[in-house]
Amino acid sequence: MRRWGIGRRIGAGSVRFGGAVRAGAGGFRHGGYLSMADAVPKKRYRVVRINGGYRINSRLCAMGFVPGEVFYVSSAYRGGPRCVYIKGTKFAIGSGMAESIQVEEI
Amino acid sequence: MSVKKITVALSGNPNSGKTTIFNNLTGLRQHVGNYPGVTVEKKEGVVKYKGYRINIIDLPGNYSLTAYSQEEIISRNFIINEKPDVVVDVVDSSNLERNLYLAVQLMELDTPLVLAFNMSDVAKKIGKMVDIELLSELFGLPVVETVGSKGIGKKEILEAAIDLVEKGKRKKVEIKYSEEVEKEILNITSVMEKEEIPTFNFNPRWVAVKLLEQDADVINVLKKAAGAKYGNIEDTVNNSINHITGILRETPEVAIANSRYGFIKGALLESYREVETAKLDRSERIDRILTNRIFGIPIFLLVMWLMFQAVFSLGKYPVEWLELGFEKLGNLVADFIHNYLLRSLLVDGIIGGVGGVITFTPNIIMLFFAIAILEDSGYMSRAAFVMDRVMHKIGLHGKSFIPLVIGFGCTVPAYMGSRILENKQDRLVTMHINTFMSCGARLPVYILFAGAFFPAIAGNIVFSIYLIGVLMAVIMAKVLRATRFRGESEPFVMELPPYRIPTLKGVLIHTWERVWEYIKKAGTVILAISVLMWVLFTFPMIGENNYSEDYESQIEEIELLNQNGEITVDEYENSISEIEAKMAGESLAYSAAGRIGHFMEPVFRPLGFDWRMVVATVSGIAAKEVIVSTMGTLYSIEDTEGQSESLQTALYKHYTPLVGYNFMLFTLLYFPCLAAMAVFRKEAGTKEMLFQMGYTLLLAWAVSLLVFQIGSIFI
Repeated sequence: MRRWGIGRRIGAGSVRFGGAVRAGAGGFRHGGYLSMADAVPKKRYRVVRINGGYRINSRLCAMGFVPGEVFYVSSAYRGGPRCVYIKGTKFAIGSGMAESIQVEEI
Repeated sequence: MSVKKITVALSGNPNSGKTTIFNNLTGLRQHVGNYPGVTVEKKEGVVKYKGYRINIIDLPGNYSLTAYSQEEIISRNFIINEKPDVVVDVVDSSNLERNLYLAVQLMELDTPLVLAFNMSDVAKKIGKMVDIELLSELFGLPVVETVGSKGIGKKEILEAAIDLVEKGKRKKVEIKYSEEVEKEILNITSVMEKEEIPTFNFNPRWVAVKLLEQDADVINVLKKAAGAKYGNIEDTVNNSINHITGILRETPEVAIANSRYGFIKGALLESYREVETAKLDRSERIDRILTNRIFGIPIFLLVMWLMFQAVFSLGKYPVEWLELGFEKLGNLVADFIHNYLLRSLLVDGIIGGVGGVITFTPNIIMLFFAIAILEDSGYMSRAAFVMDRVMHKIGLHGKSFIPLVIGFGCTVPAYMGSRILENKQDRLVTMHINTFMSCGARLPVYILFAGAFFPAIAGNIVFSIYLIGVLMAVIMAKVLRATRFRGESEPFVMELPPYRIPTLKGVLIHTWERVWEYIKKAGTVILAISVLMWVLFTFPMIGENNYSEDYESQIEEIELLNQNGEITVDEYENSISEIEAKMAGESLAYSAAGRIGHFMEPVFRPLGFDWRMVVATVSGIAAKEVIVSTMGTLYSIEDTEGQSESLQTALYKHYTPLVGYNFMLFTLLYFPCLAAMAVFRKEAGTKEMLFQMGYTLLLAWAVSLLVFQIGSIFI
């Protein structure tokens, strides 16, 4: 599991799955994608990938943060937590966790 | 007809109204315990229905049955190992898709399941219609509608549960994952079969799914069971994961989650429809104000202020009544018992000790009442959101702020209030620094010393002590986070449930549970410690011959003068109490506590403390305000109520202002009273309690040493 665990999160992995991350074209470096931490109020986004590792991923999925899901941000503190509406529920999510969720604007 | 016993476990997402349903089902016949070895609460209750004695167990609120948190593992293991006859999954009807995710996981476990679609009235009002019968057919299990807040659906749940027990399950619905995942599941189960790896109570297909999800708990169990053979399984699973990730472009745990949601969506597609309503989201409008970037924090502080007022100002009156009651009780007992020792044990030891702790009860009732309202209304999670950024900087959780504020009133409810933090590390760090929030009982000590040494600027001096406490809390939070509680701080993601008006019944039940636990504690552990403290301060008793002066004859002399009318009644009473105070001082010095003071003096000398201060510090373990009266006794000053001026004069004569300030610092920093420690132990275990006592003592000593040694150079 460790063997491939490193490559799958970032960089090479994202390029390989190119189709899904077209939104971030050009910058597929470390964390070079648009993340939930970058999302701003009054716009709609879609979850593309979640890169939190098994444990966090399972948790996020159970809470409704799954690829393909549409969400919007209702309020956000700069560099702090933000309120996100997803799958009919409002969540407060910290910036660290939000950064591990790759999103695209729609 | 004999009574048939069955067990029903209640499961559900946080905020699904599960607790309300539990309260409805069991009423006040609840029992709160702990799951073995962990601090997660286990709530049980019994209800009798149609010849059944139904034991209802409230499992912790969960989003899923992964190994994300202790609560999830507990729920899962309970279902797998204890095999309850029925699991009732409480589902928020206005948010079916997300809530059914847990239900699907329960179905994967092949549990006898009943779905309770709770808050169905709200769902209908906002235009969310579901065809219960069709959905029940699709899932192959009974579905009932409930409205927890109105007590609707209790009978239906029980009927459905009994029906399920009597008739057995209707059909098994298997969730199909994507083709690639299914192939790998088959692959893994066949390897497990070939290697003859025991899966205990687990079903092999389920184990395979959990392995693909890299569930840490299942991996651990399997590792132990399979021994050397685990390597083969691990290779197979890793290959499968690589394979799935390569083809599906997502990791298995995400792919599997997607299939579960797919299954739910499929079922809802046929049975659910949403009618557009023009209703404005009330919660959203409230949130616009309460979590506003500018108003959020001031509003939160206002709420905290109100809560503090409720706990301590409103609680003040019943506390006074209780104090008066215990005093009266003490007097009453004193009148009836003439044996000096027994009387002293009962009045000073037991009634004084336990009474001192019971008198906090009104504060604790108010605190948990306020917390229950904040939690049930939905504001608590907003408070955490608002405070998260500030608290995060010192390595704490947004919610930590609440117990810390409570700590300024009393550390006992503050420790108990730390329960609102779900994460163990957050909770422990918050508890370990809470003692530096100077509690109300320490104030009399500050007033006494600040008044004695710095009469002109007493207010500022006391304020500086409070400030140093807060500063110390921030520093220690950082230190503890960097050392003992390193681990990753819990990533912050929390549901902000819609605002709701809390039900009185729910709030009262929550409050009562906590308060009752506290009272039980006072009745047992605190009783024992009170007696111990009494023994320390009473024995060995000073014999008549060991007094430095012949007080007996002095008293006789004064009585004679009084009888002859040579002195006024006032003069007589003053002289008598003066002599009695001297006697009390000497007998305290003679007791074990006094000897400990003398014995420990060398350790405290470098801080500028003498043996009296050491004895006072020891007595402060019983309750910090006791320091004042101990000091009074040691300086043989009668009437030590509040800030006695003669005691202040005595202190001023004996110590320098530097020592006086240093003693305040020491009082601030060393662990709070025995009641607080008993609660600490209950909340966090013996090891953590000892750590708390040890590190605060060491810190208090080190800080006081520095202040005294450095201060002595300048002053």
